[in-house]
Amino acid sequence: MPIGHGRSGRGLRSSSMMAISTLSPTQKYAAGALLALALRQAQIQQTQPLDDDDDPDAGTRDRCSSASASSSTSSSEGGGDDSSLWTHESRGLLRPVFRFLDIDPKAWPGLEETAASSIIKHHVGAYLRIIFEEDDENSSERFEKELALAKAVDAMVMSLEAALTSAEESKEKDHKHGHDSHKRSNSGTSYCKNFGATIEPFDTSETKNSKASFIAEDSLIQFENVHDDKEMLEDNSVKYQRKVAVLYELLSACVADTPQDNKKTSRFRKGYDARHRVALRFLATWLDVKWIKMVAMEIMVACSAMAAAKAEEQSQGSGSEKSKWARWKRGGIIGAAALTGGALLAVTGGLAAPAIAAGFSALAPTLGTLVPVIGASGFAAIASAAGSVAGSVAVAASFGAAGAGLSGSKMARRIGSVEEFEFKPIGDNHNQGRLAVGILVSGFAFEKEDFIKPWEGLEDNLERYVLQWESKYIIAVSTAIQDWITSRVTTELMKQGAMMTVLSTLVSALAWPAVLLAATDFIDSKWTMAIDRSDKAGKLLAEVLLKGLQGNRPVTLIGFSLGARVIFKCLRQLAESGDNEGLVERVVLLGAPVSLKGEQWETARKMVAGRFVNVYSTNDWILGVTFRASLLTQGLAGIQAVDVPGIENVDVTDFIDGHSSYLSGVQQIVEQLELDTYYPVFSCIPIISR
Amino acid sequence: MMDSSSLSQPEFDYLFKLLLIGDSGVGKSSLLLRFTSDSFDDLSPTIGVDFKVKMVTIGGKKLKLAIWDTAGQERFRTLTSSYYRGAQGIIMVYDVTRRETFTNLADVWAKEIDLYSTNQDCIKMLVGNKVDKESERVVTKKEGIDFAREYGCLFLECSAKTRVNVEQCFEELVLKILDTPSLLAEGSAGVKNNIFKQKPPQADASTSSCC
Repeated sequence: MPIGHGRSGRGLRSSSMMAISTLSPTQKYAAGALLALALRQAQIQQTQPLDDDDDPDAGTRDRCSSASASSSTSSSEGGGDDSSLWTHESRGLLRPVFRFLDIDPKAWPGLEETAASSIIKHHVGAYLRIIFEEDDENSSERFEKELALAKAVDAMVMSLEAALTSAEESKEKDHKHGHDSHKRSNSGTSYCKNFGATIEPFDTSETKNSKASFIAEDSLIQFENVHDDKEMLEDNSVKYQRKVAVLYELLSACVADTPQDNKKTSRFRKGYDARHRVALRFLATWLDVKWIKMVAMEIMVACSAMAAAKAEEQSQGSGSEKSKWARWKRGGIIGAAALTGGALLAVTGGLAAPAIAAGFSALAPTLGTLVPVIGASGFAAIASAAGSVAGSVAVAASFGAAGAGLSGSKMARRIGSVEEFEFKPIGDNHNQGRLAVGILVSGFAFEKEDFIKPWEGLEDNLERYVLQWESKYIIAVSTAIQDWITSRVTTELMKQGAMMTVLSTLVSALAWPAVLLAATDFIDSKWTMAIDRSDKAGKLLAEVLLKGLQGNRPVTLIGFSLGARVIFKCLRQLAESGDNEGLVERVVLLGAPVSLKGEQWETARKMVAGRFVNVYSTNDWILGVTFRASLLTQGLAGIQAVDVPGIENVDVTDFIDGHSSYLSGVQQIVEQLELDTYYPVFSCIPIISR
Repeated sequence: MMDSSSLSQPEFDYLFKLLLIGDSGVGKSSLLLRFTSDSFDDLSPTIGVDFKVKMVTIGGKKLKLAIWDTAGQERFRTLTSSYYRGAQGIIMVYDVTRRETFTNLADVWAKEIDLYSTNQDCIKMLVGNKVDKESERVVTKKEGIDFAREYGCLFLECSAKTRVNVEQCFEELVLKILDTPSLLAEGSAGVKNNIFKQKPPQADASTSSCC
């Protein structure tokens, strides 16, 4: 069916790429509906996470206290005209997708209202069935196309997994490193249990899959009209291709932006919105498609967009530079960062998103290693053959046309007192070109390497950066703490098991042993300084994200110790500077020196579209002791659960010996959180032998 | 947060969910358009579901009617089935000039209601549309009345085009709902199961987030 009549065609510049979709209009309608439902579900999840206590398999020992939301305050229920809903028109999250899918505008309000006002699970089954049910006359042609797309996705997944395997090998090395640092940082004492080295590599993928399908099945069973839902899902071989086609099309729709929306909604942000990504996560689960396949599709969409952009650029090459810019601006396809930071393009060492200026050729080598099967140039062909509409130049703009780097010193001068603030790509090729960005922040370090090393072996599919910030202060305070721990007085206290007592008194805000008070005095000044710096660094990080230097891609923030505080402050800053909900996808705070009261965790939570995990250890007395001040009476995230609906709390007391063991343990913990699932997970750690 | 205002001072006394069903082309959307904006237009077939809200005052009560208009086309049948849930009133529409739209009520639509409606006491209403085309009429009023009696529905004949009886359709239906205590309880503003506040402080939350 020909799509893209005037209305929608206008928004998509490179209409040559607007090939015929494999989906029928009805299926597109259903796909749009599913995205709307998923988006709404994602928002509900933000304040009311799943309680998967009843998850028997995998033997989850998660203590995720998904604080049951008796919250009339936090739930944003309301009619469809409630603009706080992600599905609301003013959010600019749904309608561009509907337009992209060429759904008749008359049907939009019905879809929005469906998502906004009904109980989502009642509809998911029905809409899913529509997608699989309908087949029309050109089905053989469609079948071919969908097969091509599914094959391409599978090929991409294979290369991704191959890449992960090689990462695994390098991880082995990291563990050795970890071992060394462990020795170094804990000479004489052994508070830091290095479990990275002693744990047998354990494969979570199986439990992951079974769990995902468990949930999907579970939810399907819950649809009232069950009669043939299960049969439908069992017919996998045929349906799989359709699922991929649906997800691919939705992904394209989410990533592409249609310029005319800018006029209607001022807050419309171009790019890949974190909320869209979370919604797609739900959809993938509903469809029982592994997330890695979505990652593969993300890369394909990115690449085909790049290719299209390049082609566009070449075809327009005759035009003068100035007119091209004018044209782009008119089309509304330039990210905010590119506009504000055009001059920054040359700066290196920052969050160098794959620059459209450098173009496709710059990305090609990365792809070459990733996709030997297809080859980068094949992407556009496959994508268009499969009916992607992703070939819009706008897509490219969304994930890094900005390409603006950010020099630490420049930013620092602007903020004033932050001396060091620098992003460093890590990992092989740091997964450049992915449609999701990870920023990893250390907050406890004995040397500069400790900003990088804890994260080096992390297995994920994010374009990864570590944030190295104020290392001088972090190292100073960390060393002071370490010295204090190893000092005789503390060792004595330790021997007597006093620390545990101390911590319990800390939490209950009772009196302290005087000897301890005296002992900690000399840490205090350094600590206060570091806290101050972390607050400022957080603001800086927020500023970076607001400027879109990550290339308008969803960001996952993970940090421990003071790094967690940086992230939290960043979220606070984002909340204060307006409606920035679509920037951050996931957050993991480990051992966070952030008090529970007076810190507006709820507002911080709202800035995170997906999971928000607080990892704490009830015997993290280092954190307790150093953070005491007046704030202890107010609770401390790093040593206790945060009782805010939507925040997952994970107790790692049994796996973490002390604050410094986050350095070596963070990777393991983060992997066990299985961040690619949308529901709370903290998978079981195999018993540490010895 | 945002609903606290409506909780403390509801702008309506009751909220009712109404559903329009029936074969494609019988005039469900036209009926709704006439009712909500008092106009008549040549409409293309509804895609999936449409939704309109109308505030009315009936029987001295301020009412918010959330009316779901479903597509009659076969290909959307699966989808529309999920909209029966929680409806306090269901309007079955047929075209008095097309017999099959009437016979399909018994063959298809009444069964759909039995299958999908979750509301025991839900009020059903039979509406014969397009009485302006009296010369082409093939379904008599008597047949309609008999059907309504058999299935326990209210009955009216109307014309979206000429406006005849359109208001009355909705009014009769709503009056009957107001007469039914169990439906009334559901529809009370700020009370649970209100579709606009699907998740008040109650166990509902956990179940709804399971998928």
